[in-house]
Amino acid sequence: LSSSFSGENALPSNLRIPSNLVDHARAKRPPPPSDSSLPVLRRCDAAVPVHLSPVQTWVETLERRDSKLLGLVDLHPDVFAVPTRIDILHEVELWQRNFKRISHAHTKVRSEVRGGGRKPWRQKGSGKARHGSIRSPIWRGGGVSHGPRGPTSFYYMLPMKVRVQGLKIALSSKLAQDYLHVVDTLNIPTPDPQYLMDLIRYRHWGESVLIVDAGEELPENILQATESLKTVNVIPAIGLNVHSMLKHEVLVLTLEAVKFLENKLLWHDERFTPLYPFKLPYTDLP
Amino acid sequence: MSFTKKPGGKALDILQNLPRITLANLRPEPGTKKAEKKRGRGQHGGNRSGRGHKGERQRGNRPRLGFEGGQTPFYLAIPKYGYNEGHSRRAQYQPLTLNRLQYLIDLGRIDPTQPIDLTQLVNGRGVTIQPQKRDYGVQLVGEGAGIFAAKVNIEVQMASEEAIAAIERNGGIVTTGFYDPRSLAVLCKPVPFFLSGQPIPKRMLPGEDMVPYYTDAANRGYLADPEKIQKARIALAQKYGYVLPDISKDELFHMLFMRKDPRQIFFGLSPGWVVNMTEKKILKPTDDKLLQYYNS
Repeated sequence: LSSSFSGENALPSNLRIPSNLVDHARAKRPPPPSDSSLPVLRRCDAAVPVHLSPVQTWVETLERRDSKLLGLVDLHPDVFAVPTRIDILHEVELWQRNFKRISHAHTKVRSEVRGGGRKPWRQKGSGKARHGSIRSPIWRGGGVSHGPRGPTSFYYMLPMKVRVQGLKIALSSKLAQDYLHVVDTLNIPTPDPQYLMDLIRYRHWGESVLIVDAGEELPENILQATESLKTVNVIPAIGLNVHSMLKHEVLVLTLEAVKFLENKLLWHDERFTPLYPFKLPYTDLP
Repeated sequence: MSFTKKPGGKALDILQNLPRITLANLRPEPGTKKAEKKRGRGQHGGNRSGRGHKGERQRGNRPRLGFEGGQTPFYLAIPKYGYNEGHSRRAQYQPLTLNRLQYLIDLGRIDPTQPIDLTQLVNGRGVTIQPQKRDYGVQLVGEGAGIFAAKVNIEVQMASEEAIAAIERNGGIVTTGFYDPRSLAVLCKPVPFFLSGQPIPKRMLPGEDMVPYYTDAANRGYLADPEKIQKARIALAQKYGYVLPDISKDELFHMLFMRKDPRQIFFGLSPGWVVNMTEKKILKPTDDKLLQYYNS
């Protein structure tokens, strides 16, 4: 794909995209210009590597329906601008689906099926085929020879850093494709779900929205508003995962959620290998 | 000043014009997932299902592993000899080169201004010790003696003569000390031990075979006579041809002469104490019998 490119933004001519995939009213916003007059509401806490610069995006508000930009926010490039790797996203998505899976499919083997201890008829002379038991797998009603056996677990753990990288890639791809919005707080004026739907439709965000806030206590209004809505969901930042991010079209983060996520995701870049589980206290690791 | 790369590079630029990444768009890197051969299905997996033609192979009745058709098998023809006899009971010492030690000190993972202990080495991820696998500690190896230039007070379990010479040439102190497996496990992972709430055990003395090693001044053993150690330092300096620096006039003299008691595992903590990490308290025994046991 990349080698046949002449310009940086040109798509190859033989790529077929269905026409109904793109919402024409949803104009792609260009990234904030460097000479924008809006104030930068948040700079990166962690040190940005010298050869990279922070990515910027607008901060909006949920208090009014019409889009009013409050300011800009600096996002750390090692979290929000990592090179995209769809295979890592695929691996993390498969892991999320399978590690909790316990298949309860169970069949009975010929020894477990009720009956079948006696030889049905004598070996020779009856004119019938020779058989030892009426529950052998070739019989109707007999046991299954190689069927699923009992609850099977599909548990496995991907390395911690692969899962962290998956989160970073998902966040970066949301930001790059203009599906990430940063909001100052989640305070909305009414607990009416219609208000949120109007806001989303007015701003042409998309069909489904995942709203992320740091901390356990979320404002009452937004909880009530999203309770009845199927496509708009609120989660705490600890619950952020690749599957939810890919399932919902749009990701909305608060400023505290951005800070929390940057803190948690950048820690893995500079930590030591664990001597004992990270849940136990360490004095020298931050 | 220097060229700033655009974070994410061209990949993120291209991504802006591609369709949204969704659950339906994910796929593994081509070539990573090879389709499994399903036995008993299709032209290639079916027919004899990879079992061959007739005989024990197809019928699943091959003889046991190592059988050679009646000829005396290899594993019986070769006579026994005790190469690996008792291998699981032999002490193992993880090597630590002076190259690696210098690397760790230069990177700031090990602090040379404090006594260097096995705990410090493990915390700085310099060595990996597995007490359960018959590791009895760390041995100092002389590789990198030419470039080693750090003044340290280091305590290991075994040390080669060249390594001792290199450290003492730079004005440091080497000591070799014995840790029995339980004390070693406590030393390597102190936090899980403290969280378990057990009192700090007293370090056992070495077994009969290792006592001569740890009482010898040439190995800088912790049970050796300090005067003999001083004489050995001078002799080693003469042997390797360097001037032995005078440590007693050093500013870090107090730190360099810190040594552990033969029954002590941690600096500053005695056997018998219980460390409570959550409440940041140390509990000391008051019973006479316990005190007698732990002080013996």
